[in-house]
Amino acid sequence: MTHIALAGGALLILIGVWGMLTKKNIIRIIIGFSLFDTGLHVVLVGLGHLKNRTAPIIDSDLPREAAASRVVDPVPQAIVLTAIVIGLAVTAVLLAFALKLYQSRKTLDISELREGNND
Amino acid sequence: MINPILIIAIALGTAFSLGLLKKLGRELSFAITLIALAAMAFISAQWLSAFLTYNMLGPVVTTAGGRAPFVIVLQMGHMEALFTLLINVMGVMGAFYLHDRLTENGNGAMAVLLAGIMGLNGIILTGDIFNLFVFLEIASIATAGLVLLVTDFKSLTAGFKYMLASGLISGLFLLGIIFLYNTTGTLNIRELLIAVPGTIKAGSVASFLVMMAILLEMKPFPANGWGIDLYSGAPAGVSALIASASATAAYFVLIKLLPLGGTVAYKIAAAVGITTFVASNLVALSQRSATKLLGYSSIGQMGLVVGIYGLNYHLGSKAFLIIFSLLGTHYLAKAGLFWLSGIVQSTEIDKWSALRKSPVLFVLFGIFVFALMGFPPFPSFFGKWELIMGLVASKLYWWAGAILLGTMFEGIYLFRWFSRALKLDNQELAKPRSTIYTFVPPLVFAILLFPAGYYTSTYTGGIGIMGFAPLLFIMLIGFLDFLPAYIKNILSIAGVAAYSWYLWPHVQGNTFKIVFAGIFMGGALLALFAGFYRRGKHLGFYPTTLLMFLGLGILVDASNLMELFYGWELMTIGSYFLLIRGERSLPHGYSYLLFSLGGSLAMMFGFGLAHASAGTIELSALNHIHVLPALAYSLMLVGFMTKTASLGFHIWLPGAHGEAVADIHFMASAVLLKAGVFGIILVLSGMGNSEPYARNILLVLGWIGALTALIGNIGAAFQESAKYLLAWSSIGQLGYIVFGLATMTHLGWLAAYGYTITHFLYKGILFLIIGGIAFRVGTADMYKMGGLIKRMPFSFLAVLISIITLAGIPPLVGFTGKWIFYNMIVSEHMFYQGLVVIISGIVAFLYLFRLIHVIFLGQLKDKNRRVKEVYPWLLIPAYAMLIGVMVLSMFPNTLLGPLGRMLSTAFPKGALHWDGYTASTAYGTFNMPIIMAVIGSTFAVVFLWLLLANRRAVKVKQFNIFYSGEAPSRPELTHFGYNFFAHYKKAVGFMAVPLVTRFWDQVSEGLHALAGYGRAIYTGNAQSYLFHIVGFVVAIYLITMGGLS
Repeated sequence: MTHIALAGGALLILIGVWGMLTKKNIIRIIIGFSLFDTGLHVVLVGLGHLKNRTAPIIDSDLPREAAASRVVDPVPQAIVLTAIVIGLAVTAVLLAFALKLYQSRKTLDISELREGNND
Repeated sequence: MINPILIIAIALGTAFSLGLLKKLGRELSFAITLIALAAMAFISAQWLSAFLTYNMLGPVVTTAGGRAPFVIVLQMGHMEALFTLLINVMGVMGAFYLHDRLTENGNGAMAVLLAGIMGLNGIILTGDIFNLFVFLEIASIATAGLVLLVTDFKSLTAGFKYMLASGLISGLFLLGIIFLYNTTGTLNIRELLIAVPGTIKAGSVASFLVMMAILLEMKPFPANGWGIDLYSGAPAGVSALIASASATAAYFVLIKLLPLGGTVAYKIAAAVGITTFVASNLVALSQRSATKLLGYSSIGQMGLVVGIYGLNYHLGSKAFLIIFSLLGTHYLAKAGLFWLSGIVQSTEIDKWSALRKSPVLFVLFGIFVFALMGFPPFPSFFGKWELIMGLVASKLYWWAGAILLGTMFEGIYLFRWFSRALKLDNQELAKPRSTIYTFVPPLVFAILLFPAGYYTSTYTGGIGIMGFAPLLFIMLIGFLDFLPAYIKNILSIAGVAAYSWYLWPHVQGNTFKIVFAGIFMGGALLALFAGFYRRGKHLGFYPTTLLMFLGLGILVDASNLMELFYGWELMTIGSYFLLIRGERSLPHGYSYLLFSLGGSLAMMFGFGLAHASAGTIELSALNHIHVLPALAYSLMLVGFMTKTASLGFHIWLPGAHGEAVADIHFMASAVLLKAGVFGIILVLSGMGNSEPYARNILLVLGWIGALTALIGNIGAAFQESAKYLLAWSSIGQLGYIVFGLATMTHLGWLAAYGYTITHFLYKGILFLIIGGIAFRVGTADMYKMGGLIKRMPFSFLAVLISIITLAGIPPLVGFTGKWIFYNMIVSEHMFYQGLVVIISGIVAFLYLFRLIHVIFLGQLKDKNRRVKEVYPWLLIPAYAMLIGVMVLSMFPNTLLGPLGRMLSTAFPKGALHWDGYTASTAYGTFNMPIIMAVIGSTFAVVFLWLLLANRRAVKVKQFNIFYSGEAPSRPELTHFGYNFFAHYKKAVGFMAVPLVTRFWDQVSEGLHALAGYGRAIYTGNAQSYLFHIVGFVVAIYLITMGGLS
C-alpha cells in the first residue's frame, strides 16, 4: 500500500512537472502545478504511513495510552494538511495572475507573455 | 525583554484588524501599519542591543504549550536579532516609500505587506524546518501580492513567473523536508543538525533537496531568469523590499540550513555563489535598463555572499565580518537604488541624467554606487579587503581572482550608468518628482552607510580616526555648496592647511615622505589658491577636490597597506569627479575610473600576497615577499602604473587631462600622477633587485618607462590643443620617472626624484598658465592663438622658463636631471633604453618649440586684440613655482644633496660626489652656477648684438600685408601652426596611432559579445526559467555524485 502511494505520488509529481514544462496554456500549466503539489502531498502521507496502524485520532476506540503503538505518525498528516492549504493559496494566486494576464492581453499562451527581455 | 513572538503576533494582528477596519480611512490605516512595523523593529533592536551589551544566550520560545521538538519553537539569538532588525527596518522604510501605492490600493495591500514582513521574520526566528517552509510560502505569496500593486503587463508577467518558479522550488523543499523527517524523525532544526551527520547516507537525497531549494531561493546563475524579471518588473518599492528584506531572509535560511548538507554543501555553495557573481555581472554588461542592471547586480551580490559563506571555513574569524559588511552594504545601497529608480520613472540608464536636476538625489545615487563598488569609507570596502586578504592567505587564488573579475564587471556597468547620468545632457528631461515619502527612505539609507562604514572599520582595525574625521569636514563643505566659490575656497585652504599641520610631524625626518607630502599638500594649496579666479558657485568642486587631497594625504601618512589602499581609493573617487568635469570628458572620466578600478583590484591581490607572505599588513610586508613574489610585485606595479599612465594604461590620460580646466589640470597632472610614483617607489624599495624575478620585472618596467617617454612625446608633438599637448607630455615625463626608478641605481633614482619634483614645478606652471590662456582666449587650439606675447607678457616669460626647464636645456634645473640620466645610462650600459630616452628628449624640443611659438609668436588674431593677461590668481602660484625652479636651477645641491643622502642608504654605490656646488661622477663634473654664468653671459652678448644689428630694421605693423582674394574653406589649413609637424607625422606618425586604444576597445567588444551570449539564456519565457531550475538541480546532483562527495 505504502509503495503504491509513494510510486503514485512520484508519478503525479513527474506528470505535474512535465505539464509545467511543456504545456503552452497557462491554465494547463497551473493544473500541472496542482498535480505536482498533489503528488507531493501523497508522498508526504505515504512516508508517514506505518503498517497495520490506524489514524491518529484519540477517541473511545483508541485510548490515549495505546496511541503510541497503534497509530501512524501524526506529524506528516499535520504537515500535509498545512501543505494542502498552502498549495491552495498558491494555486489561487496563480489563477488570479492568469485572469489578470488574460484580461490584459486576451491570450493564455505562455510564449506570448514575455516582455522587455532584450532591452 | 519583549517576547520575540510578539513580532509575529503584532504583524498578524495588525494585518487582520486592517482587514476588519476598512472604514478607518486609509491614512490612518497606513499610520497603523507603520507603527506596527516600527514596533517590530523596536523589538528586534532591543534584543540586538541586549546581545551586544551582555554576553548572553537568547531565549527559545515555545508555542502551543509543548516543548521542542513536538511543537514549533522560535529562537532569538544575536544573529536572529540582527537579521530581523534588518528586515523590520526595511519594512518600515519600504512601507513608508510605498505610501502612495498602499493608500491607493487600500487596507488589503497594507495587510499583504505586513504578512510578507511577518513571513520574513518567521523565516528567521523559527526553529522548525516545516514551519520555515510555511513562512517561506507566506512571504512569497505576499511578494506576488505586492507585485500586483501595479497591474501593468510587465508586473503581471513578472509576478506570474515568480509564483511558478517559487512553487516549483518550494515543492522541492517540501519533498526534502519530508525525506529528512523520514530519516531523522524530527523537524526541529537544531536536532536535525545533530542528527543528520549520523544519517548522512540515508539523508543525502533529503539534505540535497533542501540544499537545492535554499540555493535556488538565492537565484543562482543560470536558474534565475524569473528573479531578474521579478526585480525589473515589480514596482520599484517592491523590488527594494525583495532586494533587501527578502534576499536577507533567504540568506539567513542558507546560513541556518547549509550545514545539513555537510562539507559538500559548502563547496557547492561556494562554486554556485561565485559563479553567479561573475556570470550575473558579465551578463549585465550589455544591459541598458536600470532596473535590470539592479536585478543582475542584486543577484550577483547575493551570489557573492553565498559564495563567501561556502568558503567561510577558510576565512576564519573574519568570515562573518566580511559577510555582514557586504550584505549590509548591499542591503542599504540596493534598496536605495531601487527607490531612486522609482523616482526617476525611466528604466533607461541614459535618462537618469534627469536625476541631476535634483542634486540631493543625485548625491545619494553616487553614494549608493560607490558603496556597492566597495569604495571607502563604506562597509563593503573593509569587507572586500578582508575577503581578498583571507582568500589569498588561504591560497584560494582562483577564487580571489574570480571575485575580483566579477567586481570589475560590476564596476564597468555601474560606473557607466553613473558616469552617463553625471554627464549626459538633461535639458529635455523632466525633473524627477519625489515626495516626502519617496525621498526620506533613500536619504536615511545613504546616511546610514557612513556610520556603518566606520563601525565596520573598528572591527578590522587598520584605519585610524584620521581616516574618518576629515571626511566630516568634507561633508560640511558639501553642505555649504550653496555658498559662493571664494568662501568655500577659503574654507578649503584652511582645511588643507590644518591637515598639513597634522601631517608634518608624521613625515618629519623622512625625506621620501617629505617630498611627496610637499608635492601633494603644496600642490593642494597652490591649486586652491588658483581657484580664486572662479566666479559663481562651482558646485561639487570643493568636496571632491578635498576628497582627492585627503586621499593623497592618507597615502603619505599610511602606516599599513590597508591605510595605503584606503587613501588610494579616496583619491580615486575624488579625482574621478574632477576629471569628468570637463565639457567632453564623459568617455575619458569613465575610462579613468575603469583603469583605476582594475588597477586597484590588481593591487589588492598583490597586497593580499604580501600579507600572506608576511602575516601582517604593515608596510614592511612589501619587503621580500616570498609567496608568488613575481606575481605580487607585478600586480602592484600594474596597479600603480594605471595612475602614472604608463604605456598600455595611458589611454585615459590625454582626454581626461586635456579636457580639464586650468587648476584641475594642474592638480591632475602635476600632483595626482605622483601618487603612482609614490606607489612604485614603495613597491620597488620592497622588491629590491637581487632576485632573478626582480631583474626580469625591472627589465620590463625599464622598457615600459622608456617607450612611454617616447610615445608620450611623439603624441604631444601631433596635438592641436595646447592642453592635450601638455597631457601627452605628462605621459612622457612620467615615462622618464618610471624608467629612472626601474634602473634601481643611485643615479636613476636621484633623477627620478628630481623629475618628480621639478615636473611638479614646471608642469604646474604650464598647466596654470596655458589653462588660464585657454580660459581667456576661449579655446585651447594653438592655431587659434598666436602673437599673445604682446597681450600676456608675464605668461610668456613663465612659459618660456618652464619649457626650457622641461626640455632639459642648460642652464635650468631640467638639465641637471638630464645630465644625471646620461651619466647613469653610460655607467649602467643601458644603451638601448638610453637611446630611446634620448630620442624622446629630442622630440620634446619639437613640441615645446611649437607650444611657445604658435601661442605667443606670430600674428595676433583679431578677436584676441583686447584679450587680457591671465588672471593673477593663476599667475601668482605659477610665479611662486617659478621661483622654486630658479632656486633649484642655481643651487641644485639644495635638493639633490638631501635626496642623495637618503638614497645612499639603499644604493650606496654610484652616488654623486658633491664639492661645494660641483657634482662629479666617474664621467665628469657639473657645476650649475658656472653653467648658468656661462650661458647667461653668452645669451646677453648675442642679445645685445641683435639689438645693435637690428637698429635699422623697419617695423611692420601686423596688418601691413594683403590677401590674394581667396577665402580658404578651412582657415586653419592656411595657418602655419596647424599640423605643425606634418612632415614628421608622415615619418613617425604610425607610433602615435592609438594601437593601445584599439586593444582596449577590442577587449571591451569581446566582453560585450560574451555578455550578449550569456544573456541569450534569459528568454523571458516562464517555461524556460522552470526548465533552468530543473536543469540546475539535475546538473548539481550529477556533479555532486560525480566527484565532490
